[in-house]
Amino acid sequence: MQENELIIKIEQITKIYQMGEEKVFALRGVSLEIKRNEYVAIMGPSGSGKSTLMNIIGCLDTPTAGKYIFEGEDVSELTDNELAEIRNKKIGFVFQTFNLLARATALKNVELPLIYAGLHRHERLEKARKALEDVGLLDRITHKPNELSGGQRQRVAIARALVTNPSIILADEPTGNLDSKTGEDIMKLFAELWRKGNTIILVTHEEEIARHAHRIIRIRDGLIERDEINPNPIY
Amino acid sequence: MILLEIKESIKNAFESMKAAKLRSALASLGVVIGISFVILMGWILAGLDKAVEDTFNIIGKDMLYVDKWDWAGGKNWKEVQARKNITYEQATRFKKMMHSAEVVVPNARYWGGQVKYAGETYSGIGIEGVTYEYALTPMGSIERGRFFSEFEDRQGENVCVIGTIPAAQIFPDSNGIGKTIKINGRNFLIIGQVKKQGTMMMDFVDNVIYIPMKTFFSTFGYMNRSFTICVKAGSIASLEEVRAETEGIMRTIRNIKPGEENDFSINETKAFEKSFVTIRASVWGIGIGMTFLSFLVGMIGIMNIMFVSVTERTKEIGIRKAVGAKKRSILYQFLVEAAVLCIIGAIVSFIICSAIAYLAATYLPMWIEGLNFLSPIIPIRLLIIATIVSIAVGVLAGLIPAIRAANLDPIEALRYE
Repeated sequence: MQENELIIKIEQITKIYQMGEEKVFALRGVSLEIKRNEYVAIMGPSGSGKSTLMNIIGCLDTPTAGKYIFEGEDVSELTDNELAEIRNKKIGFVFQTFNLLARATALKNVELPLIYAGLHRHERLEKARKALEDVGLLDRITHKPNELSGGQRQRVAIARALVTNPSIILADEPTGNLDSKTGEDIMKLFAELWRKGNTIILVTHEEEIARHAHRIIRIRDGLIERDEINPNPIY
Repeated sequence: MILLEIKESIKNAFESMKAAKLRSALASLGVVIGISFVILMGWILAGLDKAVEDTFNIIGKDMLYVDKWDWAGGKNWKEVQARKNITYEQATRFKKMMHSAEVVVPNARYWGGQVKYAGETYSGIGIEGVTYEYALTPMGSIERGRFFSEFEDRQGENVCVIGTIPAAQIFPDSNGIGKTIKINGRNFLIIGQVKKQGTMMMDFVDNVIYIPMKTFFSTFGYMNRSFTICVKAGSIASLEEVRAETEGIMRTIRNIKPGEENDFSINETKAFEKSFVTIRASVWGIGIGMTFLSFLVGMIGIMNIMFVSVTERTKEIGIRKAVGAKKRSILYQFLVEAAVLCIIGAIVSFIICSAIAYLAATYLPMWIEGLNFLSPIIPIRLLIIATIVSIAVGVLAGLIPAIRAANLDPIEALRYE
């Protein structure tokens, strides 16, 4: 794995939503680059366009105009199915509300992306078990989400994000539904993942959380307001 | 990879059904009814087919019956009635001239037979005069005792062979062989009983007593009756040739000029096949109509539950899409779920129908004897048909909800609470 290798290159992307008669400019020309093994926080108040940017970075959505190069591939004009494949293989999502399948066990939840990757059962179970071990939940693999605490649920979600060995981990307000103590534990886990070589993109509106990242990008009104190195990251 | 996803979808389908047991059960009720119709209809038709096949075997697939009457009733009735009788002389001449057939037996019938035994009178039994060779035809095959011999035939002995219906009527506790009965005032010794031959369709063939032709003449008279000539070809392969020769001989005997129509009918099992096809078609027609309706109701039920399921699981669809499920995967998931619902419906139907078939075939014939053609077992091919039909119904009913699920926008779906 090369250091300084460019993973994300975004050039002048805009996103316009049609709300009835009105056009809403969610992004008005954003450019940024993220290299491998960076730990970036994208910050901004609600309505700033950070969620839109996150959706585009996460290949859940495509920009109205502009270019998005992900690991050398132009993904700004891919079809829904091609985007699904990129999400499956290269992006690991961690959400504020965990977004686990309620009826499935922790192991099954972590296994899910591997099913869509077409891996066989034996391989899936092995990888899912390993991912759960990495987040410290090996003793909880048969538990369903409602039998787990908030912090444990988020760990399962992180294991699910890690299991495909993605190029980036995209975390959207990962501590938003957790108490501050548990939130800290989760942030420690992210720091650890970063040290292991993962690229982490954190989307948050909390200054406290953003300060864990090594670079902070501030968005306001659909534009990048500031993009600066955090000289003193926590952990 | 597709297989793997389908396997997963099947597991998911069972899980989501477990989560909503009652709702799933109600939704598949329509399908259960629809499939039950298909199975029961197939079962009844299979029974009918068997009854017909049995009947054909009795009549004999290699048998021709030359008669004034057209058995299948395809001809103009008045024209048939106006035909001249087939006389005994014609029948014996025919027998002499016929070479290709194995057996030729003339047959005379008297419908108003009065049979007396132990002070009781039984009427409505057909008394038939035949020659000893009748034992070689399917209708004359012996269950117990023996058929009358050539000697008894020539001598015009007062012996008889009885069918199963009079046997059961007159001798409910024994088979009657060795007993003497009175037929139209004359004593007859029962020497044998023919096999049960009738089915629901033709049970009159069992309501018969056979006596030697000569005895028949001396009992019922000789004039003014039309004979049936029973011709056994010997094999189905030679049937064509025998039929041609039969027609030729009869035309000669009856002096039919070239170009004129036959004034006799050559009856064979083929003639019945046509009328049976009509019965079959009407059973199908009614069945298909009912099946179609219940499947329509069933499909609406399945479609409804699938729409509910898609809405309820919008978030789940969003999660699956976020971690890489393609449209196709989501589509399969819901189609498989609908199909599994229907397959389970099919299995339930099969169990219910098996129970119905078993009970019906075991107990119904006790009250209605004609229903004994019903089989207690539902043929496995009906299970296969039912399964295929149910998968088709499931996929069809699940298609629109599944397409809707597959086309959900992942961002919107994830936001759904």
